[in-house]
Amino acid sequence: MHTSSFTANRVSAKRYVTTGIVPRVILVLMCTLFALPFYWMIVTSLKGSTELTVFPPTLWPRDPVWRNYRDAVLFIPFLRFFMNSVILAAGATIGAVLSNSVIAYGFSRIPWKGRDILFYIAIATVFIPFPITLVALFDIFARLGWINTYLPLIVPAFFGNAFHMFLIRQFLMGISHDLSDAARIDGAGELMIFSRIILPLMKPALAVVAIFAAVNAWNDFLSPLIYLQTQELYPLSIGLQFFRAEHNIAFSLLMAASTLVVIPIIVLFIFFQRYFVEGITIGAIKG
Amino acid sequence: MKRVVSVGFVLMVAFTPVFAGGQGEAGADDGPLELTFWTSHTPPDSITLAAMVDAYNASQQAVRVEMVQVPGSETDVAQLMTAVRGGTGPDIYMLDRFTVAQRAAAGVLEDLTEVMEAVDPALPDAYIPYAWQETQFQGRTYALPFDTDARVLYYNRRMIAEAGIDPAILDSANGPITLEQAREIARAIDQTDADGNYTQVGFIPYDIQFSQGWHYTWGFNFGGRFADLDAGRVTPTDPGVVAGFEFVRDWAADMDPQRVQTFISTYAPPNTPTQQNAFLTERVAMKVSGDWVLKWLEQFTPDLDYGVTYIPVPTSGAQPSTWAGGWALVVPTGSDHVEEAFDFMRWFAGEPGQRMYTEGTAHLPTYAQLMNDDALFDGDHEFFRASLAFASSRPPLPVGALYWDALTRAFSSVTLQQEDPATVLQQVYDEVQPQLDQFLPLQ
Amino acid sequence: MGIIRGRNLRNGLLFVSPWIFGFIAFQVYPIFYSLRLSFTRYSGFGPPTPIGLDNFRRLFSDPLLWKAAYNTLYYTALAVPIGVVVAIVLALAMNQKVREVAVYRALLYVPSILPIFALSFVWVVFSNPRYGLLNHLSRLVGLPVIDWIGDPRWSKLSLVLLAQLGAGGPALIFLAGLRAIPTELFESAEIDGAGPIRRFFRITLPLITPVILYDIILGLSLGLQVFTQAYVIASTGPNTMVGPDNSLMFYVLYVYRNAFQFSQMGYASALVWVLFMVSLALALIVFRWAKSWVHYEIE
Repeated sequence: MHTSSFTANRVSAKRYVTTGIVPRVILVLMCTLFALPFYWMIVTSLKGSTELTVFPPTLWPRDPVWRNYRDAVLFIPFLRFFMNSVILAAGATIGAVLSNSVIAYGFSRIPWKGRDILFYIAIATVFIPFPITLVALFDIFARLGWINTYLPLIVPAFFGNAFHMFLIRQFLMGISHDLSDAARIDGAGELMIFSRIILPLMKPALAVVAIFAAVNAWNDFLSPLIYLQTQELYPLSIGLQFFRAEHNIAFSLLMAASTLVVIPIIVLFIFFQRYFVEGITIGAIKG
Repeated sequence: MKRVVSVGFVLMVAFTPVFAGGQGEAGADDGPLELTFWTSHTPPDSITLAAMVDAYNASQQAVRVEMVQVPGSETDVAQLMTAVRGGTGPDIYMLDRFTVAQRAAAGVLEDLTEVMEAVDPALPDAYIPYAWQETQFQGRTYALPFDTDARVLYYNRRMIAEAGIDPAILDSANGPITLEQAREIARAIDQTDADGNYTQVGFIPYDIQFSQGWHYTWGFNFGGRFADLDAGRVTPTDPGVVAGFEFVRDWAADMDPQRVQTFISTYAPPNTPTQQNAFLTERVAMKVSGDWVLKWLEQFTPDLDYGVTYIPVPTSGAQPSTWAGGWALVVPTGSDHVEEAFDFMRWFAGEPGQRMYTEGTAHLPTYAQLMNDDALFDGDHEFFRASLAFASSRPPLPVGALYWDALTRAFSSVTLQQEDPATVLQQVYDEVQPQLDQFLPLQ
Repeated sequence: MGIIRGRNLRNGLLFVSPWIFGFIAFQVYPIFYSLRLSFTRYSGFGPPTPIGLDNFRRLFSDPLLWKAAYNTLYYTALAVPIGVVVAIVLALAMNQKVREVAVYRALLYVPSILPIFALSFVWVVFSNPRYGLLNHLSRLVGLPVIDWIGDPRWSKLSLVLLAQLGAGGPALIFLAGLRAIPTELFESAEIDGAGPIRRFFRITLPLITPVILYDIILGLSLGLQVFTQAYVIASTGPNTMVGPDNSLMFYVLYVYRNAFQFSQMGYASALVWVLFMVSLALALIVFRWAKSWVHYEIE
């Protein structure tokens, strides 16, 4: 009894090491590795101008200069850029939610000839490098007089996005047809079924799409770079870039500004964690 | 959900003015005419520019100019191009002068010939001839010359003395030192750390990150000619140019090109602010650079003990060399107010404007009359003015920027990768000449 | 029945019509429009001048184009396999059965949704040879100090490493793939005496091959369009090169410069078409090749 309990303890201890400690050590190491650049971003953002060039570099600011954050916001028209980013993200999000819900409905809840072929074409476009249309689209938007406005950045969002359509469609395919069939028998049209029955059910998928659209718009660089020329219209992505080039911003201020750019996304993630994870996994597997 | 959708529409409507923003400001009211002036200049130069704009606005009632700092650099004018193409360009833009012909050829600039002749046909004579020549494309005028500059050798007396060398030998009164001498001084100053990486260096003649060690600097220094305008050819394989490239290749080999690169990315990485310039932080003892550095030194490191002298020459007794560049004011295509813009340009690039700019930034004027005004040039600034007597300038080609970029690439492959100068310069020719052929004959 | 079918077709098309319109207006039309422009000299100002095949001929004598193409393929060839391996390793780690695993998952995933334009700034500071943390740590453990951005031999790998901060996204997809594998498969393999490594190669890897294919194709597309990192890190200031010796001059950056700095919209259109053809060809090759190793069935 005594011996056997001893061996049992040893086995479970060994088990604990392999299943409890080793994975934790590995995970913590990985997370540390991924966190290092961000740690450095924050450390650098708090250094004073002399401490920036101390060698070897200090691993924690001796005398944290919190002022850097205030300076970064005041030095750059940070709030303006921030608001512009919010406007662009809001526009793109609204467009994505409105258009993709309708389109995905057409691709999943109505059976029609050619539907699946068209859908596969849509999916295939995900893999086409977007810059292929860069030159021509610029020329077209220039002819429309849309340069230096938000139109080229927002209007296309109102015409669907293959990845978003795909997410919602996958979700809708999993919803039973009973309710909509019953409504059809009662004489409801597709628009009615869409708006009264399916749209409310779609909310979780739409939340995923909204989040992805917002994050993508927030992170977009190339399009605003090409389409926007006046500072009042710059989002953070471009504003930050140009302010550093034009105003000799010290690295500490740049890191402070970068921290402030990153924080909204982290906050968004904390609040909507579930949707991020769902979005990614729906997308991959069921396809 | 419905609520979300309707909120969305309300937002859309609310932001409509924003979406349509920047689309031109109507000026039906009686106020002064609003003109927009874009520059890619950065502080400290842009501070003087802003003061000049204010002075112009105060000098008259009819026009109000607003200066906007835009992203860009000497050959990067993407913001201008995209804006002009979209019909939202400025009324005046400050362009690197040696690219005027190329941008005019692309159709980005308004032809100013008629306006100028109506206002002041004698205007060309008011400017230094080479500067005026750079404003021309196919016999037409597309710009007014703004400032010019010259490149010299800056040296740090303290660092040289600490290496056991008397900095007096660099005094400009003694004439230029030879490149051989420069190499010896530089070697004495170089220091490395435990990793073998440089922590301070004497001189990197080919550095373009914090100095002006360009291909043109060394090509001219070895007596090279970069183009034959009469024949309509670029001549990157000219023996002098090749010799200049061979000189930097050998210098790089001697220092170890990759170690030099590591030095640069340590102390002058991309995005370094001006006050962290390696010469200002005393990481490098000598550098080739232009007149504007005088103001940097004055503003950021007033205690740094430096001198200016001729760029070292290949052989003892050789004529010193330098080259002059500078900017120009242009009217981008699509401006509705070419005449008013021209009036501003005449002031800005004329006597009052260039005087303020020379005083404020230590650049040199192209307005000929100001060059004779001794009061404008004090101390080391005088040395720059005198340097213009033997300065070369880049050939005014309609492929000026393209040529510059191709030379820059060749230069870096020669220094960093130790490639053969004659071979890469031949490639420059093969790339640029066909583009130039479109514009032949040059006028 | 025919009436219903007709009505469904009409309704279906009506519902997807925004996409059809967008697809034609923002993708199909621009692609063919740039084909037309590629046979012209067009500065963006004034009408395009037809010049036949000149732009395509010029491709062969443009050394910078070849450099950009080489850099882009080099980057992609590194980024795709490294990306797949890192994502799988992350997914395996995220799949461990420890109680607080959600925290680790979140920490590993978050960097992938952060803007690359900000991460690029961070990377410049992080990888500085003297003042950056990366080289400071290398120095502490006795590794050589590497000039990650300034050394043309390392600069592209350096951007590949930067891109790995985004591996958390694909890792979640792999994670979903891992969790879809029936546990009985592992149990029976364990009874047969297969160790963890063998189990991974015999069971796990074959069953996640569809995800690997997806990740490769997506990585390929992203690799060929790499732009922002290089632009932010290396394409500013008076130095017109992108990175030391143009080692970070990537294809799309070169397209951008031709179109928007040099006003050569015609030539840029030709460049874009070459990119289009190459990416199609590469995708087809990968799909072909994938037939030999992707397992679609889970028995």
